Amino acid sequence: MAPKAIASPVPVAWYPTLSVFMLAIGLIVTASFFVYAATSSRKTRSLAKELITGAVASVFLGFGSLFLLLASGVYV
Amino acid sequence: MEAQLSVRAILRLSLLALLSFLARSSSQDIQIVNAERRIDLTSHIIKVFLTLKVENIGASPASDILLAFPPTQVDHLSLLKAAVTVGKRKKKSYLPLEVNPIELPDAPNGTKYFSVSLLKPLSTGETATIEVLYILTHSLEPFPAEISQSESQLVYYRDSAIILSPYDIKQQTTFFKTPSTKLESFTKVEPTNRAGTELKYGPYENRPPHSFSPILVHFENNNPFAVVEELVREVEISHWGNLQITEHYKLVHAGARHKGVFSRVEYQSKPSFSGVSSFKHLLARLPPRVHSAYYRDEIGNISSSHLRTDPRKSELEIEPRYPLFGGWKATFVIGYGLPLEDFLFESPDGRRYLNFSFGCPLVETVVDKLTIKVVLPEGSKDPSAVVPFAVEQHLETKYSYLDIVGRTVVVLEKNNVVPDHNSPFQVYYTFNQVFMLAEPLMLASVFFLLFVTSVAYLHIDLSIRK
Repeated sequence: MAPKAIASPVPVAWYPTLSVFMLAIGLIVTASFFVYAATSSRKTRSLAKELITGAVASVFLGFGSLFLLLASGVYV
Repeated sequence: MEAQLSVRAILRLSLLALLSFLARSSSQDIQIVNAERRIDLTSHIIKVFLTLKVENIGASPASDILLAFPPTQVDHLSLLKAAVTVGKRKKKSYLPLEVNPIELPDAPNGTKYFSVSLLKPLSTGETATIEVLYILTHSLEPFPAEISQSESQLVYYRDSAIILSPYDIKQQTTFFKTPSTKLESFTKVEPTNRAGTELKYGPYENRPPHSFSPILVHFENNNPFAVVEELVREVEISHWGNLQITEHYKLVHAGARHKGVFSRVEYQSKPSFSGVSSFKHLLARLPPRVHSAYYRDEIGNISSSHLRTDPRKSELEIEPRYPLFGGWKATFVIGYGLPLEDFLFESPDGRRYLNFSFGCPLVETVVDKLTIKVVLPEGSKDPSAVVPFAVEQHLETKYSYLDIVGRTVVVLEKNNVVPDHNSPFQVYYTFNQVFMLAEPLMLASVFFLLFVTSVAYLHIDLSIRK
């Protein structure tokens, strides 16, 4: 039996594309977070909505920046 | 009292007799019918092929054959391999044998022994043919020790015309192969013949055990004496699909030292005459599918390198910043990336292992001190290395990008490494796939912290007036 080779969970060739798309989505969500924070008044503002938007944006930005590092040759 | 003494004396005597019998039985039960030694002096890595036809003439079966080496050779011995030939002519095949160093109490003049364990004991009257290969490094002494740019390099090689052995040798011959026909001198031990690049000592008949006849061969050897004094290879595993290799070299030309001035004009215009013993480029054999290769030193990138890749192998030709003459040194770094799936595998018991080549990728190079550092991903446990020869190993911790607890580093060290040591070795470790999420989650939490700070700022009322 030939030993099973271990490869990356995500194909290496997808890293640049993934990085671009995830960073784009992350930045759009970040923008919506700040637009919401700036336009809503103190009374109408909802803490839960702000935190959920922030969490979604940070997951996309986190994975996006990881793939950016990997695509640029910094294998963490 | 007297009775006790005499018992002791008898015991001592019988012990002595037993010891001498043991010593005798280990050496005199075996004789070498025919021995042929071929010494290849064409490069600075000396290869000796020894073919021994051994016969058991004792009463009891013999399971070990001893090989003897003078102490000066043992210090320079890099590799010793033995094999037994099976089958005749066309169906001939070689089966490797185990070789271990052994201490004998009555070794004359500091002779060192190695014991070759036969696959099955040799019964009385039986013969076996053993092939031995051993490699010596740093055994060619340049003479003259200093040469100018236009001189060619001459070296001394010292050995014995008669094979050193603890057994009787019925018939033996030694052949030396020199790199060119230019042979300054050689010790004559009749019969000695010289034809072209070959020097033949023997045949000599019926030599008793431990016969030694020192000889000196003085010949021209202009092959590059490339020696890496220290090589540190760092192999960094990333489960995101890459194996990053960084190699730090301290290269030296170990031949006759350069004397006088160096004339670049003369070196460039008369390459066949000037600086024949120097070298200006080296070849590194790298695994296939290598990418992002670089070659630099402390100053910066060295542009004189060429990378050729094909599906089976990659070749990196590098030129140091200046041609290397005797005693000159060069320090540089080579780095490259390799696809992970070619080198990392899962063993049936669930552990992961790296299968990588030991040794130095530069061809025809001796490495005085080789250190291989295998940097395992963060979160790896129970590292263990499997190397086909004796190495020193210990563990270290290294901090790299996005590390908290640090990466476990398996450090393997070996002295006196020759290209024949380029065989695969394995490093086993266990790793939980969940740990791969640590790095993206770390990055995500940094961004999240930023959002939480801004949310907190917007919700806290910092105004003084109510």
